[in-house]
Parts: sequence; C-alpha cells; structure tokens
Amino acid sequence: MGILLFITVLLISACGLIYELVMGTLASYLLGDSVLQFSTIIGCYLFAMGIGSALSRYINRGLAYRFVWIELILGLVGGFSSALLFLAFAYTQGFQLLMYTIVIVIGMLVGLEIPLLMRIIRGRYHFRDVVANVLTFDYLGALGASLLFPILMVPHLGLVRSALLFGVLNAGVALWSTFLFANQLPRTGILRIVCLLVLAGLGTGLAEAKKITMAAEDNIYADEIIFARDTPYQHIVLTRFKDDIRLFLNSHLQFSSRDEYRYHESLIHPGLASIPAPRRVLVLGGGDGLAIREILKYPQIESITLVDLDPEMTRLFSTNPMLTALNQRSFLAPRVHVVNADAFLWVDSSTESFDFIVIDLPDPTSYSLGKLYTTAFYTAAARHLSAQGLMVVQSTSPMFARDSFWCIAATIRQAGLKTYPYHVYVPSFGEWGFVLAGNHDYQPPASFPQGLRFVDLKGLHALFEFPPDMEPLAEPPNRLNSQVLVHMYDEDWKDISH
Amino acid sequence: MSRTRRSFLQAASFSLVGLSLKAERNVDGGFVNDSFKQGHLLRDRSSFPPPRQTVRVPIVIVGGGIAGLSAAWRLEKSGFRDFVLLEMADSAGGNSRWGQNEITAYPWAAHYVPVPGQKSVLARELLEDLGVLKNGESEERYLCFAPQERLFLYGRWQEGIEPAVGLTQKDRDQFKRFEAQIEHFRGTGNFTVPMETGFSQKTADLDRISFAEWLRQQGMDSRPLNWYMNYCCRDDYGATADTTSAWAGIQYFASREPEEKGPLTWPEGNGWIVRRLLERLGRFVRTGQMVHRISHNGNQVRVLAGEIEYKADFVIFAAPTMLAPFVVEGVTPLHDFQYSPWLTANLTLDRLPATYGGDPTWDSVFMDSPTLGYVDATHQSVRTHIDRTVWTFYWALVKGTPAENRQLLLNSDWNYWKEAILHDLERVHSDIRQCVSRIDVMRHGHAMARPTVGSIYSDERRRLIKGNGRILFANSDLSGFSIFEEAQFRGVAAAEKALAVLGGHIHAGSR
Repeated sequence: MGILLFITVLLISACGLIYELVMGTLASYLLGDSVLQFSTIIGCYLFAMGIGSALSRYINRGLAYRFVWIELILGLVGGFSSALLFLAFAYTQGFQLLMYTIVIVIGMLVGLEIPLLMRIIRGRYHFRDVVANVLTFDYLGALGASLLFPILMVPHLGLVRSALLFGVLNAGVALWSTFLFANQLPRTGILRIVCLLVLAGLGTGLAEAKKITMAAEDNIYADEIIFARDTPYQHIVLTRFKDDIRLFLNSHLQFSSRDEYRYHESLIHPGLASIPAPRRVLVLGGGDGLAIREILKYPQIESITLVDLDPEMTRLFSTNPMLTALNQRSFLAPRVHVVNADAFLWVDSSTESFDFIVIDLPDPTSYSLGKLYTTAFYTAAARHLSAQGLMVVQSTSPMFARDSFWCIAATIRQAGLKTYPYHVYVPSFGEWGFVLAGNHDYQPPASFPQGLRFVDLKGLHALFEFPPDMEPLAEPPNRLNSQVLVHMYDEDWKDISH
Repeated sequence: MSRTRRSFLQAASFSLVGLSLKAERNVDGGFVNDSFKQGHLLRDRSSFPPPRQTVRVPIVIVGGGIAGLSAAWRLEKSGFRDFVLLEMADSAGGNSRWGQNEITAYPWAAHYVPVPGQKSVLARELLEDLGVLKNGESEERYLCFAPQERLFLYGRWQEGIEPAVGLTQKDRDQFKRFEAQIEHFRGTGNFTVPMETGFSQKTADLDRISFAEWLRQQGMDSRPLNWYMNYCCRDDYGATADTTSAWAGIQYFASREPEEKGPLTWPEGNGWIVRRLLERLGRFVRTGQMVHRISHNGNQVRVLAGEIEYKADFVIFAAPTMLAPFVVEGVTPLHDFQYSPWLTANLTLDRLPATYGGDPTWDSVFMDSPTLGYVDATHQSVRTHIDRTVWTFYWALVKGTPAENRQLLLNSDWNYWKEAILHDLERVHSDIRQCVSRIDVMRHGHAMARPTVGSIYSDERRRLIKGNGRILFANSDLSGFSIFEEAQFRGVAAAEKALAVLGGHIHAGSR
C-alpha cells in the first residue's frame, strides 16, 4: 500500500512537470524567444500552483472523491493542451490567451493535488513521514520527467503525443485511486466508468494524433516546424528558427522571412514602377500575400486581383497574426480581391485587362505545374495585358537551373512578347531570376516607392546584366505537348543536389 | 436434421462472403448506346410501315458518322444546301461518339487523329476550318499533352508503347530491320493517307498473305516485336497480325511520317470534331431515322425512313456498307466486308489509384494484356490539379472468331464485363476497386472494318467504290479499315461525285 501510494505521487508530479515543459516548448516553437516564453510560463504555473494550494483549505469533505476528479480533469486538459494550442495557432488569433488560461488551470489543479493527497493519507502515517515521503517522490517524479522530456518524448513522440500520453497517465492515476481509496469513495462503479471514458478519449487522441503532430517531419526540415497541413492541393509547412519564418510548399522553400523582401521587391518594382499610371494588377499565385504587400505601396492602384489555387494558403496568410505581420495584412486591404481558382482556367475564362500581371507560381517540378510555363499559358495570360501592360514571371534560378531559366524566357518570347530577363541574389535561394515581358519596349522607372530595402535606381541596371556563368543559352520553347522544361528543370537541379 | 444444419452453415458462409464483398466499393453502371436491336431489325428484314409523307430532296446522306458528316461538310462548303442527313441513332457521331459526366467529356470510340501530313489535303482543309491548324501549324492545346504514352512491362512503366526495355541484341536488330523495311515501303509512295492516293497494283502481293506470315518471311521472330505488331493491329484494326492482311500491317506504319508530332486529341476524342461539325451542319441532320429501303426509281432514288419517303437525285450511303445488302436494292450479300467486335468502357474514378505510378499519362498499355489499355479523358485539361477523372478502356475482342465474340458480347451481362475490366486493371493497379465508382460499357458488334487477307484488293470493294448508279457508297470500310481520314475521304469523294452532276443547275435553281 505504502509504495503504491508514493508511486502515485511520483506519477502525478511527472505529469504536472511534463505539461509545463510542453507549454514552454510549444510557446518557444510558435512564438520564438524561448527565454521569455519559459520564464513567463514557469512563473504563471508556479503562481497558479500557489493558488491551488491556497484553495485546498476550502475542500473539507469527500477528499478522495475530489482527488479522483482533479486527476481526470488534469488528464483531459493537460492531455489535449498541446493539440488544442496547435489548432488555436493555426485557426484563431487567441493563441496566447488560450495558452495562459491552460497554464493557469493546470497549475491550479496540480497545486491542489499534493495538499489533498497528504490530507487523505495523513491518518495512516506520522505527519513527519508523510511530508518526507510525499516530497521525496514529488521531486523524484520531477527529475524523471525533466530527463524523459528532452531525451525521449520530444524526439520520438512530439509535443502533441507527449502531452496525450501523460494525460493517459493522469487518468490512469484516477482509475487506480478508485481502488486505492475505495473505502473512502461513494459510488466507485460510476467513477470507474467515467475514468474509462476519459481514458478512451485520450487513447483515441493518441491514436489520431499523427494528423496533428509533426514529429515525423521534424527531421526533413532544419528548423522547428510550427505549422503543417495537407490541403487537397499541397503540403504546407511553416518553420521557425529564432526570428526566421520559412514557408515550404511540398517541401520546396517559398520564402525565408529574413530575406524575402529582396525577392518580392525585385519581383514587383522594376516592372510596376515603370508603368506610367497603373490601375489594375493581377497576381497569379502568390498566396502568401507578400507580392501584394509590395503592390499596395502604389496608392494609384485601384484594384489587385490575386488568383491562388489553395484557399487554405490565402486563409492562413489573412488570419494568422505572425503571418499577417509579415505581409502587413495585405489581404485585408479593400483594394485586394482574392479568387481561389486554377490559374490556367481563370486566365482562359476571364476577360478583364490589367496593367501589370505577376506570375509567381511554384517551379515546374511536374508535368502538371509545367503547364503553367508553356507558350499556351503565356499566350492566354498576355491577352489580359492592357496597352501599356507588363508581365513579370518568376523563372527559377539562372545560376542553378540555367537551361530552365532561358527556356522560360524563350517560351515567353515564343508567345509573342518582348522579354527583359533579370536576376537578383536572395541569400536563402541563391541567384534568382525573373522575366519581364510586354508588347512594347521596357522603359526603366524614373523613381521607386519610398521605403524599399533592396531595389533602387542605382542598382537597377545591374539586375539586367548576366555574368558569363548565367549568360543566355539557346533553348527551345516549352509547349504543352513537349514539356521540355520539366526534364530540363529536373536535370538542372539534379546536377547540384544529391 | 444434419442436412438442415449443413444448409444453414452453407447459407451462413455465403452470407458472410456476401458481406465481405459488400464491404468493397459499390460500382454503378450498365450498357450504353446499344444498337443491336435496330441493326437486327434490318438484318432480319422485318416489315416496316408504309410511308405517310413524301419529301423531295436532291441529296440524302445515310449515316451521321465522320463519312456522312464529311459529305455534308463538302456539300455545305460548296454552297449546296438542299440535302438531309439521316442518322439511325439518337445522336450523330458514329465511331466518334462521346459522352459527358460531371467530371469531363469522354470518347466512346475513336479518340485521336494523327497530325495530317502535307499529302492529306482534305484532312488539313477540315482541320484548318475548325481552327485546329492555323497557317499549317497545329494549335498547341489540341496536340496531345506530354507525357503521352506508356507501357507496363516486367513490373515497371516505360515511356512509349513500342517495347524499349529488356530488349536483347536480336530484338534490337529486328526492330531496326523492320524500320528499314518500312522506310523502303514509305519511299514507294504506295502507302498513303488516304490510301486511295497511293493505291497501286504493285503492292497487291502483300494483300495475299497475313502480316504475321510476312513477318515470318522476313525472319522477324522477336517476341517484343511481334507483341508490338499485334498490338498495333488490334488497336487500329481490331484483329491480330495473323488475321490482318500484310498490306494493312505495313500501311499502319508506312503511311505515317516517322517524326510526326502529335497526335491531335480532345477530352471527348474525335467527338470534338463531330461537335464542331454539328455546329455548322446540325440543321441538315435528322436523328432517330432508320433507313430501311433504298431503291432506284427511274432517274431518282427512293429512300424509306420510318414513315417518310424521300425522293432524291443521289443517295450517299455513309452507313457501314455491310448494311447495304439488307437495305439497298440490287446489292448482293458481301463477302469481303468483315468487321471486328469491340468493347469500350468509361470508368469514373473518384481518385487516382495509389499504384498509378509516375506522371499522369494520356494512354497507358499493359504488355501481354488481351485489352488495349486506357486513355485518360482529363489529360487534355489545362488544369494543374486533377483529382477525379474518367478512363476510357479499349478492348478489341480478338481471341476467337468475330462471330464468337459477337455472341459473347450479346450473351454476357454487365457484371461479367465489369469484372473482366477490373480484373485486367488489377494486374497493375491493385487498388483500382477502391477508386472506381462507375463503369459504363458500350458493346460494338461491328465496330470497324477488318482488313483481312485479300480484302484490300477485293473486286467487291473496288466495285462498291465506283458506286451503284445514283447510290454512292461512302463509309470508311470501302478502304478496308476504319480510320478518320479514310471516312472523311470517302464522304467527300461521294459528295463531289454528286456535285459534279447536280452542282450547277440545282444550286442555281434552289436560289
């Protein structure tokens, strides 16, 4: 009896500490600044424990009965805490509020546990032994948990399943207590059924957790994954390391928050600033809202239409606070109209005309995506250009995929447009290339909007110069029936990756 | 007592089997476009009601497939508009019929046209008219998207249908020798599209032996080569190499340019061409009109269709020529017109099988399968994300005689064919049953002309090409095999013969 009691103490202490560690780690992953996150969470947690201990004085009757219930609630709240917080991060703006609420609830319940337990068993032992043994096992449990957490739990189970596993332990303790304190409990039968129900709920969570957890993916990406989701169209992953947020679509890097301004300023301004009075802009792709952030720097623009296939992308980048901070809430601007549609179908069916068309689509890694880099596609897109209109196309790297880059330029030329290729260095990507195109000659801009960090008049000319290792190559145009680009792209990147 | 118990156990185990079968996905579907009944009414010389109405019209076209529509196209284009086209089925199209569901349009038979060479003048003219060719260049969206064809062999996919992996030196030598032979035949100029342009007595000997026999004479015994030759015969003629005339086997390869780009294709296959033609010619077309009698009446031709009697100066008989002995007065039973029985099926897939393997491809073929594989109807879509699709499954029934296979087609129920099709697909796509929600099956008892030994140079065929007075024959089967360009050529040729006589004064008179 004695040893069983004290193992109970060890387990509940371990559970409590694990929840605290899970919160701290999760907050560091998602919000960055781990010192701040751990300090505030530990502080809140300890403070809440104090409240719990203080409140324990008001519980006078049915101690064992209430203890079982506390274990059950702890198991549920603690067990699902991690999963709930991941979902809250992805879908709501109230992540921090929810997190601290959970921290306080768990802290208070943990604070109640030990005083109640000591009072339940005080009749059986000397007070001196109760205090000594309970506290010894309490600290032993804490040691075990703090070693298990970084070595076994996070690497092998991930945060979601670690929390759920300890939720199961908590609920297990509740069930066990119904036997341990059977003589002090009324209606043990009903209580045991409740325990089994909670256990079943947590067990299901554990089995289904793979859908939420990212543990398996962690080894693909260098940084911590803070968001991962399979949509019908692609696999979206966000990672974070310190203040660097990266977006991956189907494992391909789309941007790093540290240097994306170089990419997006270069994508937009050399073309858009050269158009005398642009009013209407079309963006194909660009569901992260970063290109439209740059376009919104032109007050004379009346309307921006963004066509992106995946509603989940545009939703994520219009609601998540961390990401809307990055795109400066560009999706919420009244001038912006989002259409979730297939770019090719939309371009075929629309009759609108635009002064500037931005084609910022994923690289041609497959025949499906390759359709968006064909003479047929550029011909269809060019039909939407106004008289003064220009088009800019993200065209992969002229350095690492030199054939592909010049093939895209040749394809746009084949579609009947004049082309002006240029390139820029983006540290996280390397040398990156774009092709400006239009029905008329390109006149470089006389000025740029205020506040740009990379693009300026002085450096503009250099972007259009290609050093010998990126010089133009004669390439055939890419057509729907040949799709030479897909092979070329594959070969180009095979040469530099393993 | 023990008997009851055994039957109880039997029933119980059957119901368990039933339950486990039910756990599998339910597949809907049935037979579509059956035309046996109408055809057999003609064959059996049933009695038809006397006409109640007489219509005078200079030209009647019988049959709304590519041949009939091409005749109409030529008449309309030359300003001649006093004609009707009578089609037996509810919709025109013949072997280019198509279907449509909530996912895509899809073909029921012919699904592509090779990019016509410079000598295929008529096909080029039609495709220019329809905007498929612009200044001689094919419109990109109508050329088959990449990747086009793949073959499953030795447990893997290869690009292209001609076997290329696992070849021995001997196989490679024979493929090379075959190519050299074909190059020689191509050089003679006797193998052309349409066939009539280059047709010559010089190559008559090749019609006296089978293609398989010719290959044997050339010492070409390579297994992959022979599989491929058989596949090509099954695909274009619905027959095996040993039942195909060597002339036709060589025509298949020698009539096309080796570096030909293409083919041209659309989601609904050649149904796309029918749709475009019907947009121009729909007002001349009368569907659901079964012609049961055509006879000469002095300088006129009498056509009985349902309760209408047409009195025409010319009849262009573009329906399968095999029907002529049952319909056209004075045509005796035909011996050299044989036809291959086919089965096509359209399978609705709610998702691609996990075992699909590789990039979505237009045409997928399994080596050593009795079927011809499947074509993906959404392949010509410019959409980047395609989750649901329709596969058109092709099966020329060549094992046994055509008559036996026609019996098999008539006597087996839909469930038999559903299982046969899924079984074939399961060779490669083990999870196909979890992906398919519907299988519609079309049975074609006489799908296409069968170029048997001796049939190409047959006197009977040459006689019918000349026509029967004012009744002009126009089906592609006059060429001995059923392909788009032959149908178009025969249809246009018949229209031009009629125009040569009528063109001037009728045209002027009708203004």
